[in-house]
Amino acid sequence: MTQLAIPGIRTGEREQRAVAQPLRRRRRLGPGKQLKFGAALGPILLLVIWSIGSATGVLDPRVLSAPWTVVTTTGDLIADGRLQSNLWTSAQRAFAGLGIGVLLGTVLALFSGLSRLGEAILDGPIQIKRAIPSLALLPLLILWLGIGESMKITTITLGVFVPIYIHTHNGLRTIDSRYVELAETVGLSRWEFIRWVVLPGALPGFLLGLRFAVTAAWLSLVVVEQINSTSGIGYMMELARTYGQTDIIIVGLVLYGALGLLSDGVVRLVQRRTLSWRRTLAD
Amino acid sequence: MKLMPKKSLAVLAAAALAAVTLLSGCGGDAQAGGTGAKLALDAPLPTEVPDGVKIVVGDPATQVAFKLSGQLDKVSKYTTFANLSGGPQTTEAFRAHALDLGSVAEIPSIHATWTGLHVKIVASKFRLDPINHPIYELGVAPGVQVKTLADLRGKKIAYSPGQAQGALVLKVLKKAGLTKEDVKLVELPSTGDIYPNALAAKQVDVAPIGGVSIKRYLTKYGKDGGTTIQHGLRDDAGHLYGPTESLEDAGKAAAIRAYVAAWGVAQDWIDKHPKEWIEGYYVKDQGLTEADGQWLVDNAGHPDISGDWSDAIKRQQETIELLAKETGKPVIQAKDLYDLRFQTVASDAIKAAAK
Repeated sequence: MTQLAIPGIRTGEREQRAVAQPLRRRRRLGPGKQLKFGAALGPILLLVIWSIGSATGVLDPRVLSAPWTVVTTTGDLIADGRLQSNLWTSAQRAFAGLGIGVLLGTVLALFSGLSRLGEAILDGPIQIKRAIPSLALLPLLILWLGIGESMKITTITLGVFVPIYIHTHNGLRTIDSRYVELAETVGLSRWEFIRWVVLPGALPGFLLGLRFAVTAAWLSLVVVEQINSTSGIGYMMELARTYGQTDIIIVGLVLYGALGLLSDGVVRLVQRRTLSWRRTLAD
Repeated sequence: MKLMPKKSLAVLAAAALAAVTLLSGCGGDAQAGGTGAKLALDAPLPTEVPDGVKIVVGDPATQVAFKLSGQLDKVSKYTTFANLSGGPQTTEAFRAHALDLGSVAEIPSIHATWTGLHVKIVASKFRLDPINHPIYELGVAPGVQVKTLADLRGKKIAYSPGQAQGALVLKVLKKAGLTKEDVKLVELPSTGDIYPNALAAKQVDVAPIGGVSIKRYLTKYGKDGGTTIQHGLRDDAGHLYGPTESLEDAGKAAAIRAYVAAWGVAQDWIDKHPKEWIEGYYVKDQGLTEADGQWLVDNAGHPDISGDWSDAIKRQQETIELLAKETGKPVIQAKDLYDLRFQTVASDAIKAAAK
């Protein structure tokens, strides 16, 4: 326990102690300064544990390939060009779905957030969609959209728009009513209000949604690339499953992990830049 | 002025929702197209493929064979390829009207019919000396003693209803003189590497594993005591089948006939060019090693594409009766599953190409 000298209360004992020693520093309650390369620490620790486990033989290579096997397999896959071409196809699908999904989620969140009737109409179906796994929707999507690219991109879009919608809607609804009143007082038009109050106010929520959305886009890929694809990381992994090539499956998983971490990092960077006006616990 | 919730926004919201629904509704991939002219199922097959007719075919391996043998351009005039094969995926695509032909084994055509989907088999491929060149072997988990089929009594066996592997398990039990009550059937779909993994993890005692999985299972888990045994039955059926609605379109029927002829020639090409096939399909397309490819080619033996389907129909009828008894489904007639107009198309094409 640190004792604080409280001015105005005089007890003989305290008086003497306060004179005898200078005031102790205040206890820090926030997490403090950022660690250097702190973001990389966790993944590196994982990698170290994995390596030790493989080297000592605790991890059976048939169940989980060693990190160096993954590296050499990656090398082989890059050498015959399979990795790049698959990654490129997957990236195109993911970005197409992400782009459409982000736009859709934002627009729907605005409609539902700014209008009671819009909320009444839109919010229910979206919550229902949220409760249905994409994988379970796939048979229906195939019936409706066939087995081509449009079905794949739609599946990704559906996985992406929900987190964007939820977080943007939530961010929008938690905008302080002071700002709304201020906007009404200075006589902003509806579009000016959206531009200067709603969008910036919902931005923290939107960016959090985006962090979920970028990983959701990569995750949906595995689901859709099992159907009528001849390329993509999901296809590569599925093919390796058929032949029991565990090492290729793990290359795929590591790739997903890396892509997820990377895209998440990009969004967090954007977050730091655009939300620099916030003074919060994170800084 | 009031900036909070308003009706006009709701109208916009409804409009946006409608637009999204529309957008996603018109995404069906219209790759296939027939002439629309009706053709009775017993009318002679047209031999000329009209211009502009396209069928969608799920037959990935033959697609590669066309590419390797230089036939792809010719076939692509009337074919779009989809990377689908196997029962569940092809029937799903048939229902979505997204596929005209699929490459499967013996069971899917029976199951499709039981689920109310009308399909016909238009090409069949078997193996010469099928007992010594089986597609599947029975994988036995490490530490489990199964040397003969009689040893299956009391064992946990992976069973996948609706797939060739499932029917094979039933046939094996029948051959061993056992009933379903004498063993413990564990329902498990056989996709990817599920069966070898289930064996390795000792979740099941016995599971039918096929193709390169046999070799990989033995190299990976042989040292722990994993083994395989032969079942000694025929499991070599391979069919092209499609929905009858495609066969009722005169244009598509002509295209299917042309495809079946080209397919026959391609199977023959695969048999006569094992080196190119291993390099071009197993190594380049499927990402296996040369040794794996060689092993698969050796194990497949030689194809048997006959112009007489009567034996095949008889065998399929036996399968239907066994499945119907075990699953409580009605017995259907195997001869109704075959479109006999196609009986000699593939074998005649092989003969003509050999000249």
